[in-house]
Amino acid sequence: MKKGDPSGKGGGGARRSRAGSGSQDDLALAIAATRDAYRDTTRLIRLLSVLGQPAGPEQLVDQTLTVLSEVFFTEIVAVAHQAGARLLVTSWCGLAEDDPVIREGWPIGGAAVEALGSGEVVTRAGCLDGELPASAVPLGIRSGAWVPLSTQPGSDNLMILLRRSAAVFTLSDQHVLRSVAARLRLATEERERTIVIEQLARDGHLLARHLELDPLLDEAVAMLRQLTGADQAWVVTFDSDQAQLRAHRGLSEQDRADWPRPAGELDGWRPAAMADSATEDASVLRVPVWHDGALAAILFSARARRRPFARGAAELTTVFANHLAAAMVNAELYRTLRHRATQDPLTGLANRVLVGQHLDRALDPPGAARVGVLFCDLDRFKAVNDLLGHEAGDELLQQVAQRLRGSVRPGDLLARFGGDEFVVVLDAVRDLAEVADVGRRVGQALDGPFLLRGERVRVTVSVGGVLGVPGQTTASAMLRDADAAMYAAKERGLGLVEVFDEAASHRALDRLDLRSELAHALDRGQLEVYYQPIEALDTGQVVAFEALLRWHHPRHGTVPPEVFIPLAEDTGAMVPIGDWVLDQACRQLAAWRALCSGGDRARAAAGGDGQLAISVNLSATQLRTTRAADRLLAGIRGAGVQPADVWLEVTESSYLSADVSICADALSAAGVHFALDDFGTAYSSLSYLQRFPIEVLKIDPSFVAGMTRRERDRGIVRAILAIAQSLDLTAVGEGIETERQRVALRVLGCQLGQGHLMSPAVPAAEATRYLRASMATPPVPAG
Amino acid sequence: MSEVSKDRVRAGIGTSEVASATEAGQLAATAALAGVADEPPALVLVYGSVRYHLPDLLAGVREVTGEVPLVGASTSGHFHNGRLTEPGSGVAVLVLSAGPYRFGVGSVAGLRDDPLGAGRALARAARRAAGPDAGPHAAMVLFADGLAECQQDLLTGVYKVAGAAVPVVGGAAGDDRWLRRTSVFHDDLVLTGGAAAVWISSPWPLPVAVGHGWQPVGLPLLVTDADGPVVHEIDGRPALEAIRDYLPGLDPDQEPGRLRAAGLVLHPTHAFGLIEPDGSQLIRSAYVDEGGRLRTLAPLPTYAPVQIVSSEPEAMLAAVAPTVAHAIAGRDPSVVLAFSCVSRLDLLFDRSGQEAALLHEAAGGAATFGFYTYGEFARTTSVAGYHNATLAALAL
Repeated sequence: MKKGDPSGKGGGGARRSRAGSGSQDDLALAIAATRDAYRDTTRLIRLLSVLGQPAGPEQLVDQTLTVLSEVFFTEIVAVAHQAGARLLVTSWCGLAEDDPVIREGWPIGGAAVEALGSGEVVTRAGCLDGELPASAVPLGIRSGAWVPLSTQPGSDNLMILLRRSAAVFTLSDQHVLRSVAARLRLATEERERTIVIEQLARDGHLLARHLELDPLLDEAVAMLRQLTGADQAWVVTFDSDQAQLRAHRGLSEQDRADWPRPAGELDGWRPAAMADSATEDASVLRVPVWHDGALAAILFSARARRRPFARGAAELTTVFANHLAAAMVNAELYRTLRHRATQDPLTGLANRVLVGQHLDRALDPPGAARVGVLFCDLDRFKAVNDLLGHEAGDELLQQVAQRLRGSVRPGDLLARFGGDEFVVVLDAVRDLAEVADVGRRVGQALDGPFLLRGERVRVTVSVGGVLGVPGQTTASAMLRDADAAMYAAKERGLGLVEVFDEAASHRALDRLDLRSELAHALDRGQLEVYYQPIEALDTGQVVAFEALLRWHHPRHGTVPPEVFIPLAEDTGAMVPIGDWVLDQACRQLAAWRALCSGGDRARAAAGGDGQLAISVNLSATQLRTTRAADRLLAGIRGAGVQPADVWLEVTESSYLSADVSICADALSAAGVHFALDDFGTAYSSLSYLQRFPIEVLKIDPSFVAGMTRRERDRGIVRAILAIAQSLDLTAVGEGIETERQRVALRVLGCQLGQGHLMSPAVPAAEATRYLRASMATPPVPAG
Repeated sequence: MSEVSKDRVRAGIGTSEVASATEAGQLAATAALAGVADEPPALVLVYGSVRYHLPDLLAGVREVTGEVPLVGASTSGHFHNGRLTEPGSGVAVLVLSAGPYRFGVGSVAGLRDDPLGAGRALARAARRAAGPDAGPHAAMVLFADGLAECQQDLLTGVYKVAGAAVPVVGGAAGDDRWLRRTSVFHDDLVLTGGAAAVWISSPWPLPVAVGHGWQPVGLPLLVTDADGPVVHEIDGRPALEAIRDYLPGLDPDQEPGRLRAAGLVLHPTHAFGLIEPDGSQLIRSAYVDEGGRLRTLAPLPTYAPVQIVSSEPEAMLAAVAPTVAHAIAGRDPSVVLAFSCVSRLDLLFDRSGQEAALLHEAAGGAATFGFYTYGEFARTTSVAGYHNATLAALAL
């Protein structure tokens, strides 16, 4: 059936109706020729016009096929792809959309094979049944053209035009079709390319928002699949010689089961042999991602063979790979920054932030393995700092870190927690004994001396350990308990390990409470100064009182000074508390001065002016503060007494550094007397006595207690007294509990003494009563 | 009787020109239904004047035909069994039994927004309604809004779904030459800016025939600048100037066109013939709008080769019989569905009734049923198949 006027269509009809005149025939022929020429010309123009219109690639192909159908009068026009022995359509015009041919394709015929093999247009007319899809046979197709999209022989895409008209596609038709096919391919590729470029420009930078590598690679493959219109996309990274599948889209479980695999198995992508550009084949696109000249990853994109990648897809994917490389650099930078944020810059160890994170993770899943924490604090680190300077202190910390690294198990987290504190987190430990074992190893790691600025320095570490059960404890609780265990270790002595079970942790918790509450004890009026008389052993006259601090805790009752004084020194509370004690004691002395007037011999013998004196314990930290001498003297005078009325008691174990000595000298020059407490228990270095303005030596109670039982103790006391005598120091025997002790001391030449025999430390009012009683009784030389 | 009913479709036609839309619908439907006697009705076609309130008109028809699938269009006149109903007059109803065919009807809206998509959706809907296990052959009868100016795209959409094996026939709805608002019908819906269709599954091929009687005059021309329906340039010259030589005179007052009522000047004796690959012409009616621009009723693509075509009543009428014969294709049909252009009616002028009469004569004993359109669908070869000033037919 023909379209148009069946009675006499087109130019033919016109020619017939005007037949009879030669010139009219000529005119009709000329018109027909013009018409044909116009038709041939305009069909190309129309096709090119469609190809030039703005449209997406699929729409472009669709529109072009529509116009091809119109201008070549086809029943079916399709773009098909050879897949083995079949032709699969990718676009069509004239096939019903539910035609099974669209899904299954049809056996490739001789014309298609010839066209693809030669790269030339092939036309056929007549019976074409062997070339047609089944659904086209009833249409009565009589003429066809097979047009390769590429002129390269061996390509596998072609355009097929089928029509009922028996008229063969003319040479002119073939020229048009060849031209359209080439332009269609180029236009499609160009459109795809434009779309990809637009998408890259729009979305490529979005990759950079990922700061972690895994989500970055995951989005990258999702984007890659979309960009390349692929069925599958995946990315592979290299871990030494292993190729790891890091992210994927569209891969089956079976596909994924092959990973990881040796890098060498990746055909053509051995890192050493890699070219620096992308390659492509019919179904898989492989593009390397380079970072600093090294292969960071390979992007893979795959399409079913019937939809090969457009030419240039690899080039675009390379652009995408550059985006990805930039994003990977970004992620790495972030990783570095994050590492810095969780790393101690001095030692290179983890810092407390990472300890918290690591512990949180380790304790998160209930039922996971138990976790150990060791809290390590260097003993006497301050002394190194003070003696050799902070730089040496830093150097020591670095050397300690290096030794500790060798003492922990692989996988344990070693961190510098702050100052001279180190923490070890032990993943997967069995019991507390294992924690203690590692703790001991940590302690032993510091056994040998450290060489600092030419000096050999020995340090020890006090270690506290705890065990945590995931789901039952928290990171902060474990660190707190380990800290408490470390303090317990330190209290027992230097270089020891203490591990806390739950009960011990509870007890320690109380200590920790004390630390924090001590800061407020003064404000809350919980502190009180007690006084213990110091008497002339021969007459029993009170020559001085020792001021002794007591802390009345609302829950714990009276907290012993040996418990809270170290806490006060640790926490920095010692300075205000010490100043307060001095002030209280001096004011009390002023009050007693008013009570009793005149001096006596015994007090004169104590080296003072013969008046009642006050003895106050002084922490080294009080002397280390700036302008300590001025402050202390102002306090003494402000309380209404003279510096000469005051004995400041210091201990040998307070490190007597140079700045402390200078301060002491200033105080001494103003008239303040210094007493050396607990003499005989520490170094008892005579050089200290020489360097420090000591006037009073206090004999430690342990010697006093033993002197009546052990000759050795008696000998020590005798020696101390001999030193005192030779250096013209006053000796005070402490802790006199029996009359025998008092007598023994007196016999050995000790002038003064204190102890429960006379009076324990008592509140001020009681001390006042004692003083009154003492004054009422005439001094009796003891026998 | 039952054997006969399997081989032949029964057709009943009724018309009415009463003033009441509902009553007109009832009367026409009642008469049509009587024509299929005791066969169950399977399809109702309704062609109505826009003089009626169309929803009421359909309601009147549906009161009689019930849930039987209904499609149709507003027209610019219609014809049945040799008789012309002048534009603005009445309604005509055709009721068909299924016979050997299976009918599926569907409709779409939003034709102007996405004509390709609408065509796809319409073809799918109608095909689906015809049901599975349809016959080996099929054809589609298509009705579209007559003023949508995207008829070929609609047809292309249909073609993409139905493929080359399914010919399409039909018409673009009219509105009694007012060119204001045209509608298509689907059951009780009146759709403006939409399209409706019947999918006909058939045991044999259903050829669509097309003819017009136009003859080319003068040399082929090239449309060098066109924007939708407006033709700016032909052969690189202003369009009107380029075609002036081929026209008898461009003085609007001297033209006989009846669309003057709508403020438009049509040249019923001349049109553009879009040169097809086989040398035939797709006719595109043209007119000069109020702004002095040359417009076609369906767009001419830029770089389309065209020729001016002309016709006269005799040639036009001579095209009728061969077209009907082609549609019948040697069969003995019950009914011939025909679609003719309102511009043909204008050109025939005082012989306007003769086309309907000749058509019925050519159909032999078959009933004839058709309407005057604003454009005809007759897709037989390739994707192209939208015409102007042409006669299209399908025989069932």
